[in-house]
Amino acid sequence: MRRHFLKGLGAAALALTTGLGPSAVLAADSYPDKPITIVVPFPPGGSTDLLARKIGEAISGPLGQPVAVENRGGAGGTVGANYVAKSDPDGYTLLMGVTGSNAISAALRDDLPYSPTADFDPVSIVISSPLVLVVNSESDFKSVEDVIAYAKANPDTFTHGTPGVGTSMHMAGELFALESGTKLVHVPYKGSAAALQDLLGGRIDAMFGDILVTSEYINSGRLRALGVTGTQEHYLLKDVPTIAEAGLPGYAAFSWQGVFAPAGTPPEVLDKLYAAIDAALKTDELQAIFKERGFLVEGMPPAKSKAFIAAEVEKWTGVVDAAGLKK
Amino acid sequence: MDLLQGIETGILTAFTWHALMYCFIGVSVGTFVGVLPGIGALAAISLALPLTYYLDPTDALIMLAGIFYGAQYGGSTASILLNLPGTATAAITCLDGYPMARQGKAPLAIFVTAINSFVGSSIAIVLVMGFAPLIAEFALEFGAEDYFAVILLGLVAASTMTLGSPFKALAMVVFGLALGMVGTDVNTGQFRFTFGAFELADGFSLVAVAMGLFGVAEIIANIGQPQGVLQKVGRIRFTDMLPTRSEWKQIAWPTLRGSAIGSFIGALPGTGPGIASLMAYATEMRLSKTPEKFGKGALEGISAPEAANNASVQAAFIPTLSLGIPGDAVVAVLMGAMILHGITPGPNLINDQPQMFWGLIISFWVGNLLLLVLNIPLIGLWVKLLSIPYHLLYPGILIFICLGVYSADNNVFDIFVVLGFGILGYLMRRTGFPATPVLLGFILGPILEENFRRAMLLSKGDLMVFFESPISATFMGLSLLFIASVFMPGLRARLARRSPKFSEDDD
Repeated sequence: MRRHFLKGLGAAALALTTGLGPSAVLAADSYPDKPITIVVPFPPGGSTDLLARKIGEAISGPLGQPVAVENRGGAGGTVGANYVAKSDPDGYTLLMGVTGSNAISAALRDDLPYSPTADFDPVSIVISSPLVLVVNSESDFKSVEDVIAYAKANPDTFTHGTPGVGTSMHMAGELFALESGTKLVHVPYKGSAAALQDLLGGRIDAMFGDILVTSEYINSGRLRALGVTGTQEHYLLKDVPTIAEAGLPGYAAFSWQGVFAPAGTPPEVLDKLYAAIDAALKTDELQAIFKERGFLVEGMPPAKSKAFIAAEVEKWTGVVDAAGLKK
Repeated sequence: MDLLQGIETGILTAFTWHALMYCFIGVSVGTFVGVLPGIGALAAISLALPLTYYLDPTDALIMLAGIFYGAQYGGSTASILLNLPGTATAAITCLDGYPMARQGKAPLAIFVTAINSFVGSSIAIVLVMGFAPLIAEFALEFGAEDYFAVILLGLVAASTMTLGSPFKALAMVVFGLALGMVGTDVNTGQFRFTFGAFELADGFSLVAVAMGLFGVAEIIANIGQPQGVLQKVGRIRFTDMLPTRSEWKQIAWPTLRGSAIGSFIGALPGTGPGIASLMAYATEMRLSKTPEKFGKGALEGISAPEAANNASVQAAFIPTLSLGIPGDAVVAVLMGAMILHGITPGPNLINDQPQMFWGLIISFWVGNLLLLVLNIPLIGLWVKLLSIPYHLLYPGILIFICLGVYSADNNVFDIFVVLGFGILGYLMRRTGFPATPVLLGFILGPILEENFRRAMLLSKGDLMVFFESPISATFMGLSLLFIASVFMPGLRARLARRSPKFSEDDD
């Protein structure tokens, strides 16, 4: 804090005498002059890891520096996010943040050692992806309306499985309950595979699941998709309506991923990074990979990303407070 | 596609020069990370995964899977020779492996574990080939209450093993259970017993606990000690390794039983080789006519767990490949690798990707044969490690342990955890508290709690679920039998003492 303050003071003094902040401009001009690290707050092999590696690869050429990916998993992404929040705001340590680590955790936890809003300067919200409400294909629930009607008649009975408290799947379920005026039973698991296992085994009623993973089961007839959580149909699930269309107007929940820098990073550095990411997102290669993975390309610029995060934190804070989930 | 056709496809895939090469690289790397204390399959696969982004998906999987099962072969070597587990799952092999080495039977012990590993793997691979979809559907029948009952049986079986003082052992099980409570409460998301240390939000890492209690503690215990009897290692002849006819007989059943337990546990998603080997060891001890030999170099004590952990690792591919549900943490990373390569595992994987499925299965055979061929000549080399002076060997091992725990999450905190548990483990040894029960409670406790609470959540708090589900009821019954078998002899003896006259008359 103190160091940032002094740095800012120095820059301000210089800006006063010369009319410009030469130190900041110089730093931004020469940036990057050493390798950049993108921290992935999950173990290798997940979608965040893939995204970080593909983006890193694509921006390394234009920026003229190698981009390394470092996996620092733990506590739903918050351990890695905390590490980046406490790193130097020089643009050399970045975070591939997700809905859980950079928005929901702010709403949910008081004991978080970092602030998802105050401690980060977003570079870009890179992609978003809706979820899909699925039930076992042998279940009686044929539509979103069936679910709402049943849950209204039987409060605290309809069960939905999630990969854990504070995940975007959990929040999608809480939002669903809140907006439909129902009470659902949240069944948390350690990871989505375990929840999927119980859904296939018929022990839980539903799940707000990842589109790509569940599409395999939907297409093979093991699961039935009742609605996607997005604002329009998803290209991987043709003929599946949105939940908003199917009986809960106004409902929308997304998970998203983006690149974040520690708060205090010079705006010139953010802009430089954003320009490289924006160019990368426009390449056919990344477009094809993201399409295969079920992502929707967002590529928001820094200012829009910041406003987006603020809106997300507000949205989930409302849900967490209404559902009484605050830790 | 029928079996023969599948095997043909698999052979065509697995016997290309590149597939063979990646298989060889995988199992060699696996053997080495298995032998090196601290660096386990999870760390090695996590490190190797990004390198495979540029490979053909089948080759990449063949290599990564090779690291996974290869590590199970190597894991026991350091347990036997140095009393330091090479991987967290091989900790149980220290119990009988190290005493065997002290009796000069190290070559025999390592040879036997290689054979056990091969048999365990083979049995599980046959199951994967022939019955993967069937077994996976059966595994889907297991609900939270059934998991609870299975793990409870494991806990009961293993905590009634009495090596040394039963009270100290039980106290250590409870200590292990308490350690397992640290971390995030699954149902509420609350941080528990983290004492403000955010790094503990996911609990202690298994590798750090196992390596600390067993590895670092052993190193501390040896400080200032003269290098033991093991130093005089002559030329290892093949006859030193080969079991005698009676020893073959001795290991036959434990190996088969271990393979069965391992295959069963492995096919259940969410468990893993650590649980399999603990349960196999406990079962052998309970069934043995000479349980007093366990912990003093019993061949059964290394055969069953080593067969079990290998079987479990291969069987973990059953739910993964036929349903898209990973059997354990390592396979979950492998599944991530598939998704990265554009293959989404699901119920149609075997039909949609026959080349990959069968190629992988045949590569399991190739890999396990390679491991057998690779490991037996290496026995001489490994045993020679013992002639390295401790003042060179131990610092080296300590570095590997720190490297291994750090590389799991790139977190320095874990290095302090492993050192802390090392000191604790040393104090426990000095005071006669065994470390294995701690590990037992620590591994089983969280799964037990998670499933108990989930069963309660789904049944709305009705405890009868544990007896209404046939699977759960069966395992609950077995647990009761186990407990009865522990108390019955004592009870009978007590009754006999009370009425000595009657018992004499009866006889």
